Amino acid sequence: MNNLALLLKKLIRNSAGHARYTIAITGLSLAVFLLLAAVQIQVNYNELLHSKSNQDSVANFLVINKVLTDANMGKTALEDAVINDIKAQSFTQSVGLLTPGRFKASIQSNSDRFPFYTDISFESVPKEFIDVSGTEWTWNEAAPYVPIIIPNMFLDFYNFQFSLSQDLPQLTPDIVKMIVFRVTVYGPKGTASFNGKIVGFSDRVSSMLVPSEFMEWGNRNFASETLKNPSRLIIRTKDPGDPALTNYLWKHQLTTDAEKTRFSKYRKVVDAVVAISGVTGALMLLFALLVFTLFIQLTIASCKEEVNLLIVLGAAPQQLSRFLMSRFFPANAWMIAVSFVALAILQYLMSRYLESRHIFVSGIISLYTLGAAILLALLIWWVNRKTIRDYIYPRS
Amino acid sequence: MLILNNLMPEPLRERLSGKESSIWNRSLQFATGEWIKITAPSGTGKTTLVHMMYALRKDYAGSILLHQTNIRSLDPDSLACVRQQQISIIFQDLKLFPHLTARENIELKRILQEPFCDAAQVTKMAEQLGIAGILDQPARICSYGEQQRICIIRALVQPFEWLIMDEPFSHLDIVNTKIAAALIAEECRKRKAGFVITDLDDDELFPYTQKLHL
Repeated sequence: MNNLALLLKKLIRNSAGHARYTIAITGLSLAVFLLLAAVQIQVNYNELLHSKSNQDSVANFLVINKVLTDANMGKTALEDAVINDIKAQSFTQSVGLLTPGRFKASIQSNSDRFPFYTDISFESVPKEFIDVSGTEWTWNEAAPYVPIIIPNMFLDFYNFQFSLSQDLPQLTPDIVKMIVFRVTVYGPKGTASFNGKIVGFSDRVSSMLVPSEFMEWGNRNFASETLKNPSRLIIRTKDPGDPALTNYLWKHQLTTDAEKTRFSKYRKVVDAVVAISGVTGALMLLFALLVFTLFIQLTIASCKEEVNLLIVLGAAPQQLSRFLMSRFFPANAWMIAVSFVALAILQYLMSRYLESRHIFVSGIISLYTLGAAILLALLIWWVNRKTIRDYIYPRS
Repeated sequence: MLILNNLMPEPLRERLSGKESSIWNRSLQFATGEWIKITAPSGTGKTTLVHMMYALRKDYAGSILLHQTNIRSLDPDSLACVRQQQISIIFQDLKLFPHLTARENIELKRILQEPFCDAAQVTKMAEQLGIAGILDQPARICSYGEQQRICIIRALVQPFEWLIMDEPFSHLDIVNTKIAAALIAEECRKRKAGFVITDLDDDELFPYTQKLHL
């Protein structure tokens, strides 16, 4: 500290009392900690929700249908009004209709070594809702085979249950993709047969999927029923945990994979924690800033004579402001730094704890929290400076 | 150049109007380096004039220009700059910080800006004025005579073009007055600075370039 600062320190004493100062600093520290914690909790939650894992990409696509009850048995088709309403919701990014096959179909093995036969039904969805890449997802009558996507769970069911009980070999996805089988469609006009091939496995839609071109052709030529609205649709959503989405489904008696919307209830808890922490922090910050401002005012007011004489003798208000800022702001900066470091340590410990429960959040405090700490420091700096200047600069 | 332009303090307007004065309601120009003596009986506005010239008061008609700048229109930081670099002052009522020692009172003014003289010179001045022994005493326990000499040294440790003195020797005996006047003259010459001194009576302590009656 230079000589001038030492002399000024001797003149402008901390006359407002240490107890008041301690209360002001403690209050500010708590407020800053709560606000930073609110930001970090939000960041952690978003990280959990949007981290790039397969599971989460699945969660962003939801297949929706009506809840089947005794009352609506046989009447589960989604009306145009319902479809349009879903399209208009804020949580909906895009909607794809699942077109069901209105014809009978079967698949059977071409090989005697591996005989199988089963009746099946197909569905199709628009191309952008398919989660199998690297395959040509189209069909025409001259095509060498009908590409088919099956749910992953079918293969799991076969490999870990069916094959064991029937003494059949287990099949890897690559082997399954090599098998060419017979697809037969039946209709009032007769039957038609094609080669079929599994081109991919989907986690998104639990149906046997065929290209929409094949579906249109089949429905046109072999449909045994008249055209009706689809019973299921697939939506792409930014946040499957959005409580607005689950509320909407519940209100309209619609349903989807509950597992995919499991984040919804966590989201409500997180929202509540963030809101409580944020609002409490903001209120505390307000009161603590008020107390701290009063503390600064009291300190200056109790040395008003000395401050006035200093100005009369030629001390620049700017010089005095700088000196007073150097008296008050460093404590604030330290307090923000301590709160930030405490939160960083907590974040690290929490990430280690959650890791043991297979929940992965970053062990490093987020840049948003750092940004919030910097913003708070700027806010407190500004409040300090304004209070000091209001008191130091003579009112003309 | 210091210009006093038709000055008239508002609170004293009634009392002063109609009285003969070589300052109130007149235009005066003081060239840099001039040594001006202003005499007046008690209660005729000497301190008021000093405060106006130091921009402590703004309740007057007319204007005071320092190098063409109206000192009344300066913002607080610019005014502080003028008080640190161009105008120094010895107040009649001393205006010392009672809790600080004599040395600290002087030191504060010395280092408020880029120091004009070093700390050793302060001690030398104090020895010259006979107050070296009380430099480390709190100002509040110094006698008026000692306090006045502290104020004189405090005014001389900064750079200035004009030194304004309001009855600066009122608590000093004639011997100490002469010593203090010699020191003031020496410091003004060193800076090629002018001064304005107010007092009750005429004297020959300095080779004045102008003598005015308030």
